[in-house]
Amino acid sequence: MSGNINHEPMIEMFVFETSQQIEQLEKHILDSEKDGSFSREAINDIFRIMHTIKGSSAMMLFKDISNLAHSIEDIFFYIREENPANIDFTYLSDLILDGIDFIKIELEKLNNGDPVDGDASKLIEAYKEYLTALKKENSSDSNNSDAESKSQEPADNIQYYEMKKRVDEKNYPNSYKAIIYFSDGCEMENIRAYTIVHNLKELAADISYIPADIMDNDESAEYIKKNGFTIFFKTDLSYEKVYELLQNTIFLKDMELYQLENDDKSEQEKESKAGISEAAKASDSSRNQDNAGRSAISNMNAPVQSMISVGVNKLDKLMDLVGEMVIAEAMVIQNPELEGLELEGFHKAANQLSKITNEIQDLVMSIRMVPLSTTFQRMNRIVRDMSRKLNKEVELRIIGEETEVDKNIIEHISDPLMHLVRNCIDHGLESPQERILKGKPRIGVVTLEAKNAGNDVLIIVRDDGRGLDRERILQKARENNLISQHTDELSDKEVFSLILLPGFSTKSEITEYSGRGVGMDVVKKNIEEIGGSIMVDSAPDKGTQITLKIPLTLAIIDGMIIRVGVSSFTIPTSSIRESFRPVANSIISDADGNELIMVRGEFYPVLRLHRHYNIRTDRTELSQGIIIMVEQDEKRLCIFVDELLGQQQVVVKALPEYIRKFRRIKGIAGCTLLGDGTISLILDIAGLMTV
Amino acid sequence: MKKILICDDSSFMRTHIKTMVTRNGFEVIGEAEDGLDAVVKYKQLKPDLVTMDITMPNMSGIDALKHIIKLDSNAKVVMLSAMGQEALVKESILAGAKSFIVKPFSENDLIKVLTKV
Repeated sequence: MSGNINHEPMIEMFVFETSQQIEQLEKHILDSEKDGSFSREAINDIFRIMHTIKGSSAMMLFKDISNLAHSIEDIFFYIREENPANIDFTYLSDLILDGIDFIKIELEKLNNGDPVDGDASKLIEAYKEYLTALKKENSSDSNNSDAESKSQEPADNIQYYEMKKRVDEKNYPNSYKAIIYFSDGCEMENIRAYTIVHNLKELAADISYIPADIMDNDESAEYIKKNGFTIFFKTDLSYEKVYELLQNTIFLKDMELYQLENDDKSEQEKESKAGISEAAKASDSSRNQDNAGRSAISNMNAPVQSMISVGVNKLDKLMDLVGEMVIAEAMVIQNPELEGLELEGFHKAANQLSKITNEIQDLVMSIRMVPLSTTFQRMNRIVRDMSRKLNKEVELRIIGEETEVDKNIIEHISDPLMHLVRNCIDHGLESPQERILKGKPRIGVVTLEAKNAGNDVLIIVRDDGRGLDRERILQKARENNLISQHTDELSDKEVFSLILLPGFSTKSEITEYSGRGVGMDVVKKNIEEIGGSIMVDSAPDKGTQITLKIPLTLAIIDGMIIRVGVSSFTIPTSSIRESFRPVANSIISDADGNELIMVRGEFYPVLRLHRHYNIRTDRTELSQGIIIMVEQDEKRLCIFVDELLGQQQVVVKALPEYIRKFRRIKGIAGCTLLGDGTISLILDIAGLMTV
Repeated sequence: MKKILICDDSSFMRTHIKTMVTRNGFEVIGEAEDGLDAVVKYKQLKPDLVTMDITMPNMSGIDALKHIIKLDSNAKVVMLSAMGQEALVKESILAGAKSFIVKPFSENDLIKVLTKV
């Protein structure tokens, strides 16, 4: 391969495309295993995918991947052509999945910029053994003797050469002998040789060549490699013309051309005894008319595909820029210097600008949206592997996989989802015997569901297993000092949400799949990091349902801007329930001095933001400020602030590392720039509730 | 400048070939993702040269080649094949492919074939 190729973008493309194909392959394998057979379509697809991977990775000089793909391709070629009986699908799936894992690891290495150094020889060996065993078994089954001849195409695919001599053969005056040598490594020399014959047949007659069996015997390639390809023919062209013609041969390394005298004919005859002389005449007209879908093509209106792929980093940059633009727009339109001016024309123009900015923003967001299907489909593999290891029968149902979320968010929910699915199978579902004793269907069902709910996406992981055990959870929580004494007052929901606390795990023994110190608290943390929330529902022997509520996007949120003293804060509009001016005597204090406010007969805790963050303000009396009631995870909190400044879309910026890591200030999710250039801190409602 | 239509179901291969040929003074006027697409695009774009992968979904490269030859008997189609596809390569030569190249190939080889064809 020529060394001047810039490999970076090629590697990126290679990884991207191969990952997609591997995922498709995995899906085919899992589906086929489930059905207990490979459909025609699946076999073709698997064959094609392996073929493509073989080609691409060979181009990139990843030999192990290429060889591995080749050996899988061979297996499926055999299955496709010979349709062998008694395939052990589970075993074959295992084998192929091992190969998939190998390629996955290599791709991961590429992604991290590491060298691709995996050794696939053991796997390849296993594939070869499998194929040999399959062939053996099959040929003894049905005396199909030619099972070994691998490159044999089905008969109707081959266009055999016509052996007839031309009747209207012209009597050409000049006889030639040429010996042609091809460049090293050009491959399939016999077919290259045939190309020469094919091209000559218009201009020459009496064509014969050595070796003669170039079309029927691929071993002849070896002969040509060693000895060159010798061809005799008659034509009316001059030596120069013939020389020029043959010089045009592709991959020509060397050539000898002799014009033969007429009595040299004996030489020709002598030499060609080795083979069969044949007149080159290919039947161009009598092509097999494969009629499948033929006539349709000519009438087809061209559906011009207009897709391009764009790097995610470019999209990230675009998103950033749009964010900056939204801020800049606000800075212009809400510029303090404009205050009090009569600017009708300006406002008209500004409105137009806002409209366009909004549209661009929506568009950019929609570009970044990707369906959850890939993430969901990945769970198939986990379910398969786990159900076999744990001897449980599990069916995975997937609903709403077409639901879309921001690319960034997908990356954050993949691991939590995997954990939840594992939990369902490991802890939730009972063994088949236990299920039968309970009168449930033998096969346990795990459901993955996604749906849109306003600005959020709900992802539900549900099993029909044994459900959560309230008493055991309480006992465990007490042992770990996670709760105080009065447990009777806790609702089921409150008890179930205890499993989300750090250091909670009811299963005493640690299994391979779940409970390796990574508990539900990590899931909760991951989901909360992206502004989502998690809810647990369960009923004994009916099953458990975990609902993740995640925002559609992280980048831009609808926020209510509020003021406390000279500071500005932003509360995500999605969590605001209502705001009101409190009446002085509606507030009471409990024994610990915590303030509560009564709204329509219910008490809610009050958080005075100025006290919480030590901000100096003159509005400390409740009647002077305003209360905003927020809700998160079905809990409510009343936040007392000085005043509301207005609602607007804000671009979320991460907090500086210093504030995140060293100060660990609770209750702040990020920050944003307002139109007048001031910084507004975005409140993290879930965080505020835990302080 | 010779106009090329690249037919391959792998976008990686398409990009790879495109990079190679563009560097050597060819113009890529279209890309097709399967055989059907290739036939349609051939009709539309009338390229000087076609690179045709053999294994593609919907319609194989060979069937696409046959259609293209039917449309234009002088079409210059170069097949992209892999080891083990000897029979298919033969079939495509019989069907009118001008030449073929075996993966993995180098930039040099590809350009050599395309220039000669």
